[in-house]
Parts: sequence; C-alpha cells; structure tokens
Amino acid sequence: MSQFLLVLVSGVASGAVYGLMGLGLVIIYRATDVVNFAMASLATLGLYVAVSLHDRGVATVLGILAAVAITVAAGLLVRETVIRPLGQGQLFSALVVTMGVSLVLESLAGSIWGDQPKAFPNLVDGTVRWSGAAVPVQSLVTIAVAAVAMGLVGYLFARTTLGSAMRAVAESADTARIVGLGAQRIARLSWALGLGLAALAACLYAPRSGLVPTALVAPLFRAFAGIFLGGLTSMYGAVIGGLTIGVLDNLAANYVSASFRDTFVFSFTVLVLLIRPQGMFGTRTFQRV
Amino acid sequence: MVFNRSLLAKAALGPAAGAVLMAFMASGAIPAYQMYSVGLAAVYTIVVLSVGLLAGWSGIWSVGHPAFFAIGAYFAAYGSGHDWTLETVVLGAVATGALLGGFIGYAGARFSVLYIALLTLAFTTVTLELINRWSSVTGGDQGVPVLQLRSVLGLGTVLGGGTDAQYLAVGAAAVVLGLAVPASASGLRMRLVAAKSHPLAARTIGIAPEAQSALSFAVSGACTCFAGVLLGLLTGFVSPDPFSLTFGISLIAACVLGGVGTVVGAVAGGIYLTWNPSLSSAVGLPQPVVQGIVLIAVLLFLPGGVVPFLARPARALVRRLLRRPDARPAPAPEPSADPVPLRPASDGAVLLELEHLSVSYGGLKALEDASLTLRQDEILAVIGPNGAGKTTLLNALSGLTGNGRVSGTAQFAGRPLLGARATARRRLGIGRTFQHAEVFSELTVAENVLCTRRRVTARDRAEVMRLLHSVGLADVADRRPTELPFGLQKRLDLARAMAEEPKLLVLDEPFGGLDSAERALLAGHIRRLHAAGTAVIVIDHVLDDLFSVAHRVIAFDFGRTIGGGTPDTVLQDPKVRSSYLGTVGNRAQLPEHVGEQSMLRLRGVGHVYGGVTALRGVDLDVRKGVVLGIAGANGAGKSTLAGILHGSLKPAHGDRETGGGVRTSLAPEGRALFKTLTLRENLEVAAYAAGITGAPLRERLTETVEWLPPRLRDRLNASAAGLSGGEQQMLAIARALIVRPDVLIVDEPALGLAPALVDEVYDRLVRLAHDGLTVVLLEQLLSRALSVCHEVAVLHEGVVAAHGRPGDPDFAALAEAAYFSGGLEAAATATTAATAARAPQVN
Repeated sequence: MSQFLLVLVSGVASGAVYGLMGLGLVIIYRATDVVNFAMASLATLGLYVAVSLHDRGVATVLGILAAVAITVAAGLLVRETVIRPLGQGQLFSALVVTMGVSLVLESLAGSIWGDQPKAFPNLVDGTVRWSGAAVPVQSLVTIAVAAVAMGLVGYLFARTTLGSAMRAVAESADTARIVGLGAQRIARLSWALGLGLAALAACLYAPRSGLVPTALVAPLFRAFAGIFLGGLTSMYGAVIGGLTIGVLDNLAANYVSASFRDTFVFSFTVLVLLIRPQGMFGTRTFQRV
Repeated sequence: MVFNRSLLAKAALGPAAGAVLMAFMASGAIPAYQMYSVGLAAVYTIVVLSVGLLAGWSGIWSVGHPAFFAIGAYFAAYGSGHDWTLETVVLGAVATGALLGGFIGYAGARFSVLYIALLTLAFTTVTLELINRWSSVTGGDQGVPVLQLRSVLGLGTVLGGGTDAQYLAVGAAAVVLGLAVPASASGLRMRLVAAKSHPLAARTIGIAPEAQSALSFAVSGACTCFAGVLLGLLTGFVSPDPFSLTFGISLIAACVLGGVGTVVGAVAGGIYLTWNPSLSSAVGLPQPVVQGIVLIAVLLFLPGGVVPFLARPARALVRRLLRRPDARPAPAPEPSADPVPLRPASDGAVLLELEHLSVSYGGLKALEDASLTLRQDEILAVIGPNGAGKTTLLNALSGLTGNGRVSGTAQFAGRPLLGARATARRRLGIGRTFQHAEVFSELTVAENVLCTRRRVTARDRAEVMRLLHSVGLADVADRRPTELPFGLQKRLDLARAMAEEPKLLVLDEPFGGLDSAERALLAGHIRRLHAAGTAVIVIDHVLDDLFSVAHRVIAFDFGRTIGGGTPDTVLQDPKVRSSYLGTVGNRAQLPEHVGEQSMLRLRGVGHVYGGVTALRGVDLDVRKGVVLGIAGANGAGKSTLAGILHGSLKPAHGDRETGGGVRTSLAPEGRALFKTLTLRENLEVAAYAAGITGAPLRERLTETVEWLPPRLRDRLNASAAGLSGGEQQMLAIARALIVRPDVLIVDEPALGLAPALVDEVYDRLVRLAHDGLTVVLLEQLLSRALSVCHEVAVLHEGVVAAHGRPGDPDFAALAEAAYFSGGLEAAATATTAATAARAPQVN
C-alpha cells in the first residue's frame, strides 16, 4: 500500500510537470497554430542559467525566476526571427522549424555547458511520512507549485478581459480581426506565457532527472502524449492528459516494466486516439463545401 | 500508365546512372575510402525518396521513418545470425514495412498533418525503446554484427561491410529510381495527389483518401525497410545510434532541401545526408547546428527545394535552345457560344426519387422533408434564398453530409442511394460540381480529369483531351488550375464531373462568380450535356441563366420545399416570390431628418478575390443620421462592401474617406460571435480591442447591457453558443455598439431568423437610428430594405444597379428589376435571351 502511494504521488508529480508543459504547448498552439517543439530546448537553456547562478551562490528561487525570464526571452526571439517570417497557417513548416531550432539549441547547450550531467537543486529536501510511506517533499512541492500555476492560468483565462481576448483569438482569428483585437500582441503574450510555464515545469522536473542538453526531451514527448490524449486545443485536456500520462507512466514503470514505459504510454495514447481521434476534450471539425 | 518515349528515356536515366556509377566504382576511379559513402548515399536516396514522395504525393509528413529504417537493418542482422537467405530477409523486411506502414497510413488518414507527424514521432520513440531494451534480439546499445547474407537467386554471398554490399546498394537505388519515374506519371500518383489536395472533392470522383494514404504509406514503409536491410549490409554492424529522432528531422531537412515530391530532389537529399558530416567539419560547426540551420534556412528562403529552384531556369534554357514554342498565354474564352436550344424533356423513366429526405446537424435541420422526382431526360433547377437547404440537398445526393443525420429514402436508377458511400456514388452514375470549383490545385488541368481513372491508358488521354477541348480547356491542359481565371476553373470542375459520363450531374451554383459571356457559354454546355442524355440538378442564385437551362424549378426555404413550377411561372408563386423579396407591409417610422454631413464616402471602390470580381465602381455617401440599406441577392457583393465600409477590408481599387475621427463598427454576417465566450466576455473583448479597460470598460458594459433585451441581461454569464439565432444577433449588435460607434454596419441581421425575431431586431435598429446613430444595413430581402431605410442601394453582381428613396413611387419597380437582373433594360434583354433559348420548348 505504501509503495502504491509513493508511486501515485510520484506519478501525480510527474503528471503535474507534463501537464504544465502541455498547457504551455496548447496555449501557444491555440494562439499561433505553432506546435512548439523547441519548447524543451529553450527551457533547457533556462535551466543551465539557473544552475550556473546556483553554483555562484544565488538562491534557487531567484535562479528559477531567471530561468523563466531567459526561456521567455529566447522563445520570443525565436518567434520573431524564424517563425513569423513563415507566415500564417504554415502548421507543418512551423513545427519543422522549431525542430531545427531545437537541434541547434541542444548542440549549443552541449558545447557551452558540456554533455556531462549536472545536478539541479531541489527546492526543498527531505521527506514526510504519510501512512507508512516516505514521500519526498519535493514531489509535494512540485504538485503544489504546478497546481498554483495552473490555477493562475485558469484565473487569467476565465476571469480577466485579457484572458477572454486570448480565448477569442484562439476561437477565431478572423472574427478577432473584425472586432479589432491586435493578434500579434496576443500571440506574443501567449508565447511568453507558454514558455514561462514550460520553464517552470522544467525547474520542477530537473532535480529528479539531472541536467543534460537533452534532459527535457522525455517530458516533452510525454507532454505531447498528454495533449493528444486531451485534445490539441483544450487547456483542461492538456492538464488532465498530462496527469493521466504521469500516473500511467509511473504505474507502468513500477508494475509492468521499467524498460518499456514509453511503449506503454504511447500505445495507450494511440489506442485512445484510434477510438476518439479528436482526443478526450478536443472538438471535431467537419469540412463543409 | 503510358510509356511514351520520353518517359521511358527518363525512367532509364536512374538505372543508367547507376550502371555508370558502378563502372566508375569497379574501375577504381572512386577512392576506396569514398566507396562506402557512395553506397551510403544510395541507401539514403531510397529513404529520402520514400519520405519525400509520401509527403509530396500524399501530404503525409512522417517522422517515423527512422523506425522503418531500423527495422530493416535489424532484419538483416537477425537474418545473418540465423542463416536466413538474402531474399528471405528482404521479403520479411518489406512485408513488415508494408504492414506497419499500411496500418499507420490507414489510421492516420483521419488526422491532420500535424497529428500524423506527432504520431509517427511516437512510433519512432517506441521502436527505439524496443530496440534499446530488447537486447536478446537487437544486442541493446552494444549492437549486432551483420556477417553475411547468402542469395538463393545467384547474387552470391554478400558480406556485411564488403564491396558487394556497396554495389548492391547502388544497384538497388538505381532500380528504385527507375521505378519512381514512371510512377510519377501514373494514375496512381494523380489519385494520391487528388486525395491529398482536396479529400472531399476526391470522394466525389470515387477516390477514398484512407485507402490512398494506407497504400502510399505501405509502399513508403516497405522501401525504407528495404533500405534498412541495405544499410545493415553496408555497415556490417547495426546499433541504435543511426536511427535517432535527429535522423528523422534530418530526413525531413533532406527532403525539403532537394524538393519535396521530386525524384531528382531525393538524390540531392541523399547526397546531402551522406556528406553532411564532412560539410559540418568543413565549416567548423557541430553537425546538429549545421542541420538545424540548413533546415530553417531552406524552409524560410527556398520552401520549394533546391532542385525545382534550379530546374526552372534550366528548363527555360533548354526550351530556348531547342526553340520550342513557349507556353502560350491563357486563351480568351472560346467564342463558340452558339446558342444551343434547350431540348424539351421527354416523359422518360424516373431516374431519381427522393421521399421525405431530411438532414440535420445537431439540433439544426438543414433539410426537412424534401421530396422530388427527376426524370431521365430533365433539367431541374432548385432555387431559394441563402440557408434554404439547397447545398445540403446536393450534399445528400453526393454523400457529403459529414456527421449530419440523414433520414428518408432516395432511389437512384432503381437502387437505394442513401446507404451508398460518397466514393461509390460516382460508380452509380452521379457526378457533381462545387460552388467554388474545388479543383485539385496540385495537378495539371488534364490530370485533374485523368485522375478519375484508376489506370491511365493512351486512349484515356485522348478521350480526356477531347473532353477538355469540348469545354475549351485544351490549350491549358498542362497548366495548374491555380494559374487560371475562376471561370476556367469552373469549367474544369464541370469537365471532371462529366469525365465518366454520369447519368446524373449535380451542379452547385455553376453560374456564381462568372461574367455574362462565361455564363452564356456555361449554359450552352449544360444544354449540350442534356442533349447527350444526362439528367441535371442545378442550384443557383443567378435566376436568368438558371431558368434558361431548366425544364422545371422547385423552390426551397427554411429547409423545406415551398413551391415549384416551370421557369416562366415559378416566380409568380407568391410564396416563392416572398422568400426572395419578403412581405413586409408597414413602413417603419424613421427619424424625419437626415443630416448633410458625410460620415463615410466610397469612391470608385472595387474588389477582387483570387480573380473573381466582387465589387466594381461603387460610389456611396453615408450621411449622418441616415439608415442606408444595401440590398442584393446572395453573392451580389454585400459582405465585401460591408467589410470595406467598416475599414477591416482594404479595397483593391478606389478610396474610402471618413469625416475625421469617425468610428465604424460592424455586426458581421452570421453574427460571428465568440461562441466559447460568455455574453459578458463577448462584449468585454470588443471594448478591450478598442483600447478600453478598467473603470471605463465597466461603465460601457453597464450601458450596453442596458440596451440588451431582458432575457439576455439575465444570462450574461452563459456561453454565447447557447443563444438562439435572434439572441445572437442582438448580442452581435450590442458588441458593435459597446465601442460607441458613429456608424453601425449590420450585415444581414435577418439571416436564418424566425419572422417575429426579425421584427424585433429591426425595431431595435430603427430605435438606434432615432437616437441619432448612422446605420448601414445590408439586406438580402429587397422589400425589407425598402421598408426600414431612408435610402436603398441595390447591388447586382458587384455593381450598384439602382439607388434611390423608397418613398419615390417609381423606385420599387426599378429596384426590383435591378435586384433580379441589374436593371430594367438588362432585364428585358435577359428575358428575351431566356425566352429565345427556351423557344423550342414552347412548340
């Protein structure tokens, strides 16, 4: 039982990370039609900056803030220089360009900071005892921080006019134009928000995995699995899909086989998609003539 | 497939180049250390070709090909360890690749490009994990050697890592290239590209997109697995390293670099992949950085690829050297519009019988209880205002109702129709055209028609050329439809529908967007088709031309049949007449005084969409306090004019002047609310867009909410999707009002509303006018425009055909003539023409 509880807590903690990353991907996709594959490598840049600051004795929290700032700045730079010139509606080209960006960034990170794994500091050390299991506090903090971040995003989108405007642009860019909403401004805000969430997720994930240039590829793929499960355009779907993947992933690793966790997770996702192509919360579109 | 001489020569080019290369290799002209690279380039060429043709012909971008490549390589390793023959290994790998590819292609057909890319990425991830962990077979990250494979067909024993493997790789690539060239001229490719460029239109000519993508992915997967076997033999050792996701991304880079969907481009891509490491060390940057930069640079600056980019000037040069006549300019429409009289309908057998046909989408009944019969030898016209259910009727006939619920019965040529899939209806003998000429933009004109055939023979080509000639497209047979004016695209759409001589031809607004000469020509085609024995159902808004080709007319409104008759009598039916013109009795009480100050002025405004003229030479002056009505039938150019008046659409010609600081606001056609937002959020977003935030926003919101009817005021936090049509319209107007506009533009507020609601909406618009607001009202029903406006401009085919005050006694008749046919004189000539065309029927 205590083993199961541990697996569950660690699953929810991983799921919270995947959910945050997925949320970032969905926010960017809804606003600009770009599936941002470079999100992981951009956040990796932020992580390296945080680690460098930490090594110089800067507080971890400040390091995390710096990571978020660097990730957002680098992401906006990428968007302005190589994504915007592609023009509107280039879904696949935009995806491939972000893949190219991620190749370059991973290699750059490797040549600047080396390919040797670095330790990333926990926010909090230690464990708490909970019905016979020693639950790491870091897992609980991860869940709490992710929950607060998701709550804030929820508040932004549900309660503020800016959030309404972002949802409006996501629903119909054409109507938004007629009403006079500035699409570029909303697009930049969405990229900043999405990348900020990814950087935060990265900072929560890195203490467990250690930091190498490709450290975030695995959580990015699981975040993808999560948003496919949830539906590419649904923010709830991203969170719930991410959590599902996190829990499944940890259950599979502990009770099925640690070696085939991705196989298990992706097979499950593909099966769900074969039954419901639009994902759990996505909307189905129908082409009209 | 037609093997003419030039195609054969081209197909022989691959094998010939392979033979020359092998001769070079044997002669020792290629240094030993480069021999391996040559073999590798050959293997990569096969993989790039598989990925590139899949993307170019089927529109499927796969990141999953590293997995197929790996499967082939491990087949070779396993086979060599278990003493399998070369042929067994190749067959096994190819069969596995085809099966997996077929499955992914079939399952992927229902997903968008993006989803397939990410699904295939998952496929790579899973395969790599399996390879890494299943060490008893794959050797894990230690890898496994490929010692040798013995051939039973007399190729001898191929040693892993030996020179034989290099020759084998080059030979195989030569054969694959040699097969790819005739494939790119085949009907198969045309059908693949057709299914890719317009899946819906492809269904109407009997092409099932799922089957096509399954087939192409299967072939592509099989080829890549085959290349994997060659790679295993070439390297003599297989480990997971070469099959990373990075390789998948590089493959895409190689495809795009060479030119997606071109055979020569694949060779260029294969060469790039092979020598990319040398290139990276030459420029002194890490390999992934070079790959990433090349990928981004190509997508940004040369999205068509290097080979097509170089080929164009090269081809032009060759053409000049050979002094062949250059491509001809687009020809003028054929002058052969000799008036073909409409042959009378005989009392032939019943071809089509619909009974109580209904189609509903969710709660919306798009078509309700439609019944009609069509004889074998008859042209039936279907008329009705926008949203009456006409297109839904056609979609039900051609099986394109999507996820709509269809009930009722339909018999076609004695067989039940509704159960048949869209792809099967073509075989039953139903062809159709589309309102916007949905042609396959990536095929040439001739290929657009040829792709209706599964196998293309020389006779097919001749027949298609005859058909193209008959519709006046023979001169542009080798051009892409996107280069042609809209009128020719519509003819192509018609030719494609006619290609297999259907028994029934279904035409969706064939006259829309055409000028009068083109319309006359088209009417001639339809009459000729009928003379050749084809039954036709045709819907349109251009009534003159429609009636000139019809034996019988039925009218629809609100999804139901409301009347019918012959072309001469149908408009005398009061119900039919009022569905177009409306039956509004009382004139609204408008403010007496209209100011002289001009708020908004258009001068000589014209607009064009992709070659179609939507507006021409429009002059309008919107004066302060006026309610200006702009009436016109569907497609007359109203929404374009609304966008230009609003300022959100920039006119192609002419000027828009505003009297300094005039704020315009548009309630667009179809409401265009944000349906996922609540009522309050819809209003807030509009204010926010105008730069109003904080306390002023709350103040505006309170003020605007006051204006809303009480039943909406109570539901401010409900989502806009739950509102009825009338309520949505109120909200759309409120959204336009929240920015306190000086001019309010309302585009077809009555569309799809029940009469009582229409009255309420107009009541409120008139009250706004009393409050001093300037209103521009775009309206489909002429009588309604006449009853609620100070001034009415009638728009006909993008031109203001009449402009006046409803109070003037003569204006109503003038406006009506303008509405239907552009003016009194035009009406007279059109009627004469129509009568002339129908003359034999009278006899």
